Parts: sequence; structure tokens; C-alpha cells
Amino acid sequence: MSGPGRSVRLVELVGSTRLDEVFRRKVRQRRWGVTLVTVCVAAIGLWLFSDILGSTGWSPIKVLELAVFSVLFTTLSFGFTQAFVGFLVLAEGHEPLKITNTLDESTPLASTAVAMPIFNEDVATVFGNIRTLYRSLQKRGELETFEFYILSDSTQPEKLVEEELAWADLCRQTNGFGRIHYRRRKVPVNRKSGNIADFCRRWGHRHRYMVVLDADSIMTGESVASLVRLMEVNPRAGIIQTMPKLVGSETVFGRIQQFASRLYSPLFAAGLNYWQQGAGNYWGHNAILRISPFLTSCSLPVLPGREPLGGRILSHDFVEAALMRDAGWEVWFAYDLEGSYEGLPPNLTEYIKRDRRWAQGNLQHVWFLLADRVRPISRLHLIQGILAYSSAPILVLFICLAGIQAALDHFRGHASSIPLPAAIVLALLTLLLLFGPKLLSVFHLLAQPELLRRFGGAKRAIAGVIMESLFSILTAPLLVWFHTRFVLRNLAGQKVVWNTQTRASGSGSRWIEALREYWPVPVAGVVFGILAWWISPMYLLWVTPLLLGLWLAIPIAQISGRSGVLRRMFQTPEEIDPPRELSKAEPFQLRAGDQFVHAVLDPFYNAIHVALQRRRSPRALELDEHHDNLAKKLFEGGPAALTAEEKRALLSDGPALAKLHILVWRTPAEKMNPFWAEALRAYRNEQRATVPS
Amino acid sequence: MGISPEYLGLLRASINSSPEWKQAWERTNDYLDALRIPADLERELLLLTSFERAIARKRKEPSVSPTELAFDEAQKALDATLGDLISAKVPADRRSVEQRVRLYLTQPTQNSVVSRGNRLSHEVLAALRDVRLEAVPRLQQAAITPRPFALNTAGERLASLAGKFSLLGSNRTLAWLIGLCLVGLLIYMSL
Repeated sequence: MSGPGRSVRLVELVGSTRLDEVFRRKVRQRRWGVTLVTVCVAAIGLWLFSDILGSTGWSPIKVLELAVFSVLFTTLSFGFTQAFVGFLVLAEGHEPLKITNTLDESTPLASTAVAMPIFNEDVATVFGNIRTLYRSLQKRGELETFEFYILSDSTQPEKLVEEELAWADLCRQTNGFGRIHYRRRKVPVNRKSGNIADFCRRWGHRHRYMVVLDADSIMTGESVASLVRLMEVNPRAGIIQTMPKLVGSETVFGRIQQFASRLYSPLFAAGLNYWQQGAGNYWGHNAILRISPFLTSCSLPVLPGREPLGGRILSHDFVEAALMRDAGWEVWFAYDLEGSYEGLPPNLTEYIKRDRRWAQGNLQHVWFLLADRVRPISRLHLIQGILAYSSAPILVLFICLAGIQAALDHFRGHASSIPLPAAIVLALLTLLLLFGPKLLSVFHLLAQPELLRRFGGAKRAIAGVIMESLFSILTAPLLVWFHTRFVLRNLAGQKVVWNTQTRASGSGSRWIEALREYWPVPVAGVVFGILAWWISPMYLLWVTPLLLGLWLAIPIAQISGRSGVLRRMFQTPEEIDPPRELSKAEPFQLRAGDQFVHAVLDPFYNAIHVALQRRRSPRALELDEHHDNLAKKLFEGGPAALTAEEKRALLSDGPALAKLHILVWRTPAEKMNPFWAEALRAYRNEQRATVPS
Repeated sequence: MGISPEYLGLLRASINSSPEWKQAWERTNDYLDALRIPADLERELLLLTSFERAIARKRKEPSVSPTELAFDEAQKALDATLGDLISAKVPADRRSVEQRVRLYLTQPTQNSVVSRGNRLSHEVLAALRDVRLEAVPRLQQAAITPRPFALNTAGERLASLAGKFSLLGSNRTLAWLIGLCLVGLLIYMSL
């Protein structure tokens, strides 16, 4: 605990000058409190369940079932406790131990890099979001200490060209040359974490802090400046993570997630901060990092074994937070800092694809549970991450064990001897743990009339919660299905491919596509339903909520991906009353069409691209010849004649591309490939339509 | 320019009367459009003088198409007009690129770049000559200390135990068989 302002406030709050000791004691008390509540609730559940299981005698299956249940129920209990504590913190209206209490607007800013690693992302979104932050800081008069780095790992030739021109356009629009930088790695080693590490190696000594953003992150100038100030007054803070609000979704799926996250997250976030304090976690974006300890302590190790579970680390953020903590730095969660936003996958399919990457990444963290020098709270964060996905196969195992047991009981005629009161109490307790946080969030919302208005009023908010709950009941089995598959596949040695995340909204997949992607789910649901009926009608009744989601997988996936539906439902404050930075986010205009062709035809695209390439090495004659041959092939056969790799190779040779540009423009139509003649004609028509003569 | 309007009119008429030269005119004109050079008298003069030279060259180089000749001459004319914007040290094969970069950078005020009657100030010209498009700042390198991965005692024991059973993991059929046997045993013991 340090920083003059912070000390004064804490002295006021705890009434002692031995701040560190008092702070530590307070945090210890909080952690014990949360543990006690979690364990007590879990113990009640376990006691009830063991009562139910033991009523017909014990068997090895039942012991295993109880063990699996204890893992699932404790996880549930911990989540509920966190939300409950968060509710109490928010209801009290004052949390003495949070990092934002130390914010002092008069603190001078320090040199900060805003780093945005990208990989074949939507260029307009990336540069539009950077422009929003740039202008926001400019408006506050706080731009001086900031520099912006767009760190591209893009591999698609069209994206490379588009990104370069977008960079030049952005710099020209904002007068940002020398302040907005664009760096492309030719070989994207170690993905996003490698991208950031490469940035640190190149410019690590240029800045004191770096704010890491995702391609769909939007942050206001105020929030970024506040993060820097918080770092300055808390010299032991290594990372400060904000809580990004989900925005910009158009589809039913996206808007439901947006609504749920906006309504329920504050409770969980306040609860999380309550017990973790300076031992927090890092989510990989919308956060500020102190570069110096990051360089010395957060280099990611290579895990034993091969991918998917070994090798290079896929999900770097949790590990970096653990390494930062191990080096003695604090990791804070500025959960109530406004002005941090992010997008989300537009539909269930994209959401599941993202989960596939995250599942593999989080499973790799198992190694860190067995690693030396990982602090207990960091281990807990890692366990939570692992359980986010592995709880699905654990649940499936529980259902299977329960099915086997139900079958055995049914055939032995024990089914009717289950103690009903214990079963009812356990069911109610489970419902409370599952839906209690939602209910508490609604209570919290109803107590704030202004916020309630920004959610569309009480009726709409409550209707939204009911519909969201139904939707989550229906989608949960689907997620369990996919998460189980991902975990099992990873355990069987299959790894994921690093794909670009689709962030834009759309009209949703067509019925035929939904059918193609999801058909095994309802089939499995029907088979499992028949099996459950055969085992016991009672068992079928018990698993029906799960089966419903499986049976309806195809319509759920299709309908939830649609946009323009239920527009008046699931409204959030950011939709009704958007902050200036979100409402003024004008689209970043670029020339439509094939960007690779523009790199050849458009004099400015071509010049910017060529100017940014390294000069030819006088010794690389063979390479030059190869590139000249590629240029010839492109001229004679059109873009279809080159593979993506050949296009990338040609793009890396500025002089060859400059020559090609002149060649295309000076060759008469009848002497060139019809593709270029047509492209020139189209280019002229577009030019005349857009540029006034 | 030293060319009479009557002569220019005649030149324009003769260009339009030949399909080859007309195509050359359109292509060169399109290129100037692409460079966002405003369609004014300066541009018309630039084009016509380029064509005058191209027509003269055609007599000496009959095998070269009018489009190629006209485009080359227009390039030369652009070089002459925009030559002030770039340093004399820029090699010949790079000049066109550097000129286009400067045209791009000064686009909103491009009239003053191309128009002879409205030249840029010396300071701006000097600044433009010094321009070097750099997407990244100068390196200020730092070393990242790699940290080896070390298991704790329990982890090492688990890893060595897992190593002993690695045969099961590498043989999927065997793993399935053992798994099913375990489930069977569990059910049998629970009967």
C-alpha cells in the first residue's frame, strides 16, 4: 500500500499508521470469510446429497458421485458467495479497499504505450477504435505522454495492404505521424503473447507502461489516463485490469450476453475484488501493465510436453498475472473504472469457436498448479479458469454416474426410497446458487432508479432477466456438450488452429448451416432421452432441462444469430445512453474491394506500401529475381495466378510492386490480362463516382 | 507554356480522332484522377504537353504503343512538376513512389502542390523533402529474461507417475479398454 493520497485515505479508514499490516489482516479476514461461507454452503449441499445417496446404501459409484458432486457444488457455492459479497459491497455503497480510491486527477502522467495486437482483424474496427481513444485523449489535452502501437500479425495479403493504408489515413486524419505506429511481424511466433513480447523487446525501454487492447476494445481517454495515474500512485502495482463492458452487439445472442454481463457482472466484480485485492488476475486486454517487471518476470516458459497440453502457452494472461505476483508485484482489478468496453462474438457458433481456443489455453494451466513459485491465490485463479471448461465433462461424468446409479436402483426397486424432503431442499438450494446472483442483481438494479431507467425501465429489465434466464437454461447444455468435446479432444492430443475471431454482427447462419453444424447435438439428445426413459422415467424427468437444450440446439443457434430481433428487449445503459466515445464512433472509411489489387492499381496504396517496405538488399539477387518472376506472373495471369504465400512474398518487395504499378497503368488494354483491363475500368468508374472533378 | 491555344485545340482534336491515342488519353487522364490531381487548366496543359512529346516520340519509336508513350511522358511531366517535393538524393527508380507519398500526405491542399501559380512555402517544401514514411519509432531494445518452467515436488512426482503410464495415453485402444474395464468393475462392485 503506498502513494500519499492512498495512505491518508486508508489511515482514515482503518485508523492506524501500520497500514501494511492492517491491510493484510483485513484482506486475510475477508478471504477467510469468503472461504467460510463457500465451505458452509457447499457442506450443506454435500450433507443433503450424501443423505439422498446413503438412503439406499453406499456403493463405489455413489462415493465417486459424491466426490464429483462436491467439486461441482463447491464451484457453484464459490460463485454464489462471490456474487453475494459483491451485492453487500454494492448495497453498502462504499468499498474502502479498492484501487480506484487512490485515484488522484492531479497525478502527472507518464510515458505509456497503447498496444493493440491484431491478427487478420476487421481493419475499420481496429483503426476506428484507436482513433476514438486518440481523439478522446486529445480532447482532454493528455495526448503528449501516449504513443499507439498497432502490432499486426496478419497473414492475409489483402489485410496487410489495408492495414498499412488505414495506418497512413489515421495518421493523416489525426496528425498522428510519429505517435501512431504500425508494426507487422512477418513470422507470427507464439501468437498474441509473442506479439506483445516482440513489442517489449523492440520498444520496452521507451515507455513506463503499456495499455493492452484487443482489436474490439474501446477505451475512453479518461479511463486510460486514470489507469496511468493509478499506476503512478501505486508503485507496487504491476497490472491493473479494468472490467470491460460488452457493447456494440446487434444479434439476439450478442445482446442477451451484453445485457446479462452488464446487469450481473458488477456484483461478481465487486465480490471478486473484495477477496482478491492486490492478488488479482489479468484478462489479456483493457488493462495496464508496468513494462519493467513485465520484462524481467513475465516471460512465458515453454511447458513440458507437446501441444495441446504442453509446449507454448496459448492463454498467456492468467500466467502473466501469476508470474507478476510471484515477482512480488500487485495485480489489481479496477472494477468500477468507467470507460472500458469490448465487443463479443456475434453468435453461438463464433462464441463456441472462441471457447475452443480458450479451453485449450486454460487446460494448459494445469501445469502451473504443479509448478514451483506460484502463489495460492494465483493457483485459485488458474483453477477457476480450468474449471470454466473442465466442469462440463465433470458434469457429464456426474450425469452418467447418476444414470448408472438410477438404473441400478430402478432395477433393484430402490427408486421410491429417496428421502423427498432432502431432495427438495437440495434442489431449492441448487436453484438459489444458480439464480440467486441474478436475483440479487435485479434487487441492486431496482434500488437505483437512474440506472434502472438506462436499462429501459423495471418491466423491460425484469422481462429481460426472465428471458435471459430461459435462454441460458437452453444454451447451457449446448455449451456443456461443446466444452466436453473440446476438453476430451485436447486430452486426446488434438490441438486448435489459431483462427481470426469474427467480431462483426451479421444476419446469422442460415438454417442449413445451423443444421450442418449442430445436427449431432439433437441426435445425441434424443438417444440420451430414450436411454434415460429406459433407465427410469424419474431419471428422464431429472435430466429433461438438460435435454431440452440439446433437442432445440439448431433453432437456438439459428435464431440467436439473427439481428434486428427483439430490439426493445435486453437494452443496456450503453445502448440507451451511449457515452460520447461510443456514439461518435464514425466508421473508418477505406476503399472497398480487393485490397491486394488496390496495392497494385491505386497510386497511393501502392506508394504507401512500397515506402514502408525495406529496401532490396544488393546481395539478394536470387530473391529479387524470384519476386520479379512473381510480379510477371501476376501481370500475365491476374491475382488468381498467385497463391496467398506468393502474394505475401511479392508484397514484401517494394521495388517489384512499384514497377508492376507502372507496368499495369502504362500497358494498353489489349496487351494485358483481361483481369487488369477490367480492374482498371472498375477503378476508373469508382474513382469518378467518389471524387468530384 | 509557350503553346498557343489554337495549337492545343488542334492537338486535342487529333488525339480524339485516333482510337489508340484516345485510349492513351483516357488512361493517362485516369491516372491523374487516381492521383487526385484537380481537373484544371494546369492539368490540361500537363497532359497536352506530354502528348505532344509522345506524338513526337511515336515517329521515332513506331513499335511502342501510344498508351505507353503518353504515360511515360506524363510521368516525366509529373517528375518535373513535383520534383521540388523530394530530395535530389532519392534514386530515380524511387522518385515516383516518393512523389506519390507526398501527394498523398498533402492531399487536402494538393492544389498548391501541383499548381504553378500557388506554390508551397519554402518551409513546407523543405519539410516535405525531409519526409520519410516510418511506421515504427526507433528501436529502444530491451531483453526479456526467459524463465524456465520448474515443477514443485508434488508436480515432479505426478509427472514421473504420469510418465510411467504414458503407454496408455499413446495407445488409444488400450486406454479405452482399461477405461471400460474400470467402469465395469465400478458397476460390478456397486451391484
